[in-house]
Amino acid sequence: MRGLLGFLVPKLLRALVAVWLVTTVVFVVMRLSGDPVPLLLPPDAPTSEIMRVRRELGLDRALPVQYATFAANVLRGDFGRSIHFREPAFSVVKGYLGATVELGLTAFFIAALVAVPIGLLSAIRRNTLLDHVAMGVALVGQAAPTFFLGILFILLLSLKADLFPTGGRGDWKNLVLPALTLGAFAMASIARLTRSAVLEVLRADYIRTARAKGLAEWLVIVKHTLKNAALPIVTITGLQFGTLLGGAVVTETVFSWPGIGRLAIQSIYNRDYPVVQCAVFLSAIMFIVVNFAIDLFYGLLDPRVRPRA
Amino acid sequence: MSQVTRRELLKSAAALGAAATLSPALARPAHAQTTQKQELVVGQSGDISKLDPHFSTSSNDIRWSFNLFDNLTSRHPDGKLYPGLATEWKLTGQTTWTFKLRSGVKFHNGDPFTSADAKASIERTYDPNVKSMVATVLTTIDRIETPDAGTLVIHTKKPDPLLPGRLGFYGGQIVPEKYLKSVGPDAFNAKPVGTGPVKLGSWTKDDKLVLEANPDYWGGKPDFDRLVMRPIPETAPRIAALLKGEVDAITQLPADQGERVAGNATTRVAGALYAGLYVLAVNSKRPPLDNPLVKQALSHAIDREAIVKELWRNRGIVPSQPIAKGDNHFDGSLPPLPYNPGAARDLLKKAGYKGEEIFIETTVGYLTNDKQMSEAIQGMWKDAGVNAKVEVIEYSVRAQKNREKSFKGVFWSDPTSTLTDPDGMMWRLLGPGGPQDYWRHARWDELGNAARFSVDEKFRGEAYKEMTKIFLEHFPWIPILQPYEDYGLQKFVEFTPNPNQQFEIRRFNFKFKRA
Amino acid sequence: MSATPAVLAPVAVRGGAGGRRTTRLAVAGLAFVVLLGVVATAAPWLAPHDPERQSLRGRLGRPTLQAADGRARLLGTDQLGRDVLSRVIYGARVSLTVGLSAVVIGGLVGAGLGIAAGFRRGFTDTVIMTLADAQLAFPFILLAIGIIAVLGPSFPTLIVVVGLSGWVSYARILRAQVIVLRSREFVEAIQALGGSVTRVILRHVVPNVLSTIVVIATLELARSIVLEATLSFLGLGIQPPTPSWGGMIYEGREYLDSAWWISTFPGLVLMLTSLVVSRTGDWLRDLLDPTLRGE
Repeated sequence: MRGLLGFLVPKLLRALVAVWLVTTVVFVVMRLSGDPVPLLLPPDAPTSEIMRVRRELGLDRALPVQYATFAANVLRGDFGRSIHFREPAFSVVKGYLGATVELGLTAFFIAALVAVPIGLLSAIRRNTLLDHVAMGVALVGQAAPTFFLGILFILLLSLKADLFPTGGRGDWKNLVLPALTLGAFAMASIARLTRSAVLEVLRADYIRTARAKGLAEWLVIVKHTLKNAALPIVTITGLQFGTLLGGAVVTETVFSWPGIGRLAIQSIYNRDYPVVQCAVFLSAIMFIVVNFAIDLFYGLLDPRVRPRA
Repeated sequence: MSQVTRRELLKSAAALGAAATLSPALARPAHAQTTQKQELVVGQSGDISKLDPHFSTSSNDIRWSFNLFDNLTSRHPDGKLYPGLATEWKLTGQTTWTFKLRSGVKFHNGDPFTSADAKASIERTYDPNVKSMVATVLTTIDRIETPDAGTLVIHTKKPDPLLPGRLGFYGGQIVPEKYLKSVGPDAFNAKPVGTGPVKLGSWTKDDKLVLEANPDYWGGKPDFDRLVMRPIPETAPRIAALLKGEVDAITQLPADQGERVAGNATTRVAGALYAGLYVLAVNSKRPPLDNPLVKQALSHAIDREAIVKELWRNRGIVPSQPIAKGDNHFDGSLPPLPYNPGAARDLLKKAGYKGEEIFIETTVGYLTNDKQMSEAIQGMWKDAGVNAKVEVIEYSVRAQKNREKSFKGVFWSDPTSTLTDPDGMMWRLLGPGGPQDYWRHARWDELGNAARFSVDEKFRGEAYKEMTKIFLEHFPWIPILQPYEDYGLQKFVEFTPNPNQQFEIRRFNFKFKRA
Repeated sequence: MSATPAVLAPVAVRGGAGGRRTTRLAVAGLAFVVLLGVVATAAPWLAPHDPERQSLRGRLGRPTLQAADGRARLLGTDQLGRDVLSRVIYGARVSLTVGLSAVVIGGLVGAGLGIAAGFRRGFTDTVIMTLADAQLAFPFILLAIGIIAVLGPSFPTLIVVVGLSGWVSYARILRAQVIVLRSREFVEAIQALGGSVTRVILRHVVPNVLSTIVVIATLELARSIVLEATLSFLGLGIQPPTPSWGGMIYEGREYLDSAWWISTFPGLVLMLTSLVVSRTGDWLRDLLDPTLRGE
């Protein structure tokens, strides 16, 4: 247990520093990118008016002062008020969070549930037609831009085949196309990685021994391969979760999905600093929590990766 | 609405402000023509940003705020002014307007509508403490009196013949004084209360806006129980949603996709000639754009007919002047702005143009087709020997440059005649201190100012004629086209688009075809 | 969040890939990439039309052997009547330049930091790996938009943004490899004998990790080309009228239903390139890294 703790605590500290870095970078980049005030006032508002609104929003103070206030508030869980929506930034982001989590998790599970068996099958039946087709599709999934794939899905699976709605949030049917689009890249990566990880394990000596002992092929695979290939698969899956959040920006736009990615983009364009900061902060936390959980899982699965020091 | 072929449509495009319908002569299943729906679903290109009508003039917002709220006067799709919350109005002397208000009207929360609400609403627009987005719309007003609950008297600073028209467009929406005062502006924006045909149900940002029909509306309950607006930013999915019947109407239908919608058995295209122009506004302070000859050359080098015919598939007309067709004082005798690359080259030579860069700053989608038109015009200018560059900028950068008046060359603008009058268009935008004040001309300014405060329409007509002449030598805007703004509709939707971007769903203009 | 080398090492497609077949495929893949480079360089001679020449009257034209002007438009024309084939050929320039420069930037930064982290361990290691964590936790597209909003959209900005998006994979994998290498006797021996650190790194570490760098580079090249397309979708791509594959796919997306050729052809070329490049990477690794080669 002490080993596990020694393994986790430094990781936790590093994760916290990473979140702090992310938050600071957003703060600086947003302020360098432009001023929200012109977007709030009519185009012919006088300069005195602009100055007044700037003062009201606290944008007239020195950057370090603004940063100190911001940091102190974040520590208390306060992200400030949205400049655009005129309500607390956190409650704005919260309104979008559900949609993104719903879409992200679905994409993530579809990706994992489809990709792992495909990768496994490809490895077992390597160099068969099935293998080539599966890996070919996977490569296409990795090579196609998300928006292209999304519009293609809408035209083919929604408009022509009439299987799913074109977009918007609703019941499970509305989730399928955006989740497939969002998960395509992750699915492809996980499938390819699963295949190679399984292949590697299949070549290992103990598998040969197991086979030599006459264990049924499927039993060998399930008992040994999956268990040993689980580590890399789980890790890549965790990392793909990060790309899921990034890819959500495009998917959400194509499928008019009311998620945090779209909110973040619009808020960047509106220079709505508090909302951008809050959205990025929360998605960084989500990413770190997921990967922390995976590290934990990883440590439990394989005690060897825990560093001695 | 009559069904016409494309060719006929081109002819009828000349019919001013009239709604035009595109539909193929196809045998269609009868079921597509009628519906029993009680819910109207509309897809537009973006979410609303504000529900408080005095805080936004963007088309995605006013489409709904004009239905949540009523104005004293109402501009119908035929371009004429009708009674709204005011039943009649008259001018006494030169500057005193008396409005008789409709009685028995209630706000959505049950409060009665009175002259006090009208007074407070109008004064709110230009109250400096409110910081409204429509602060300059009603500034001809000097003071307002309310002799009784059903009468409103407005005194203007100088004669303002266009006041009833001004009150019919943005800035003129009537908000409830008492409710607004008690909840404050933020809560009012979140839960707006008006007198209009729909009231707010719920708003889930970027997902849907639900509006409930107002059963007690003075103009009759609209022909649905619920109106749902879905923001669908991408064009292809928006059109797919219409073709599949997921939505009943879509806005911002690009001309290129019109045939797809018109060719579908269950959908049709309806458009209205925009009550304004799409122009390249010029920063005339930047050399070489300070030279009128250069601007004349730029105008001559643009093949507007090709733009209208090919890029817009004839869903627009080539302008001839800075006054939109359909507005007061539009001069029908002027020819369309000419395309003459030879003349353009000569003018450039005469101007001593030495290949200085001329920038077209464009967004993607601030105006329909803006990026495509920018690239097309860049090509045309290059052919005439102009060193033209296109720079794509995002909306907020455009807003910032607009405020700072820091555009590098020319930029897209869609001036609209809020009053169906040049005063609400070129004078409002290009006049001294206006948002596009990049160019001054003593005589032009004198005429514009005189015309604003004259009740003599003949004098005004002469003034605008001379202003147009000066304009066409100096080109503070380079007008490109007057487009149709098209909607895609299910065939069972009976609706006439309004030239001024209002989405009129009141009983007189919207109904479902029932079996 | 750091991972062991096996975990993050690029996917190998090894099973049964015999030595000679692998060699042939790798050579074929490389040949394709070289061919693309030649096409990009020789674009002015290869393209049948001026890629920026518009013809509004001939817009949205189907692929044809004989257009109105009597000349072929093999891949049709786009929304402004420009020749799609010529634009695809010229587009290779932008897409490959973005891809390659991004790989060079990401590779140099990432490899440098990764080797430093692995070699120095301790505080340096912690700082670099924390930076990597932070970058992974940052939704990259948002960072890109922010940076482009600050610097303004331009070709160099685009390259820097795409390049910086990829350094983490190099850094993490190389760090792990260097840690393993460092503990080997020969490195320790050289250091014990007073060899300079730089020399050890250049002479012994870099050659040993070069194959890994090449393999990651191919994957990153493929990813960068796709990322340029995504940035185009967000309006952050290359300025018009210069063609790039991503920009073409983006502009043609509204016409997928009616004029499919506008975005389909650049889309196919982009996918093919990305596919070949990443497969070549797999094969290259099999060739270069004997310890990882299959049975």
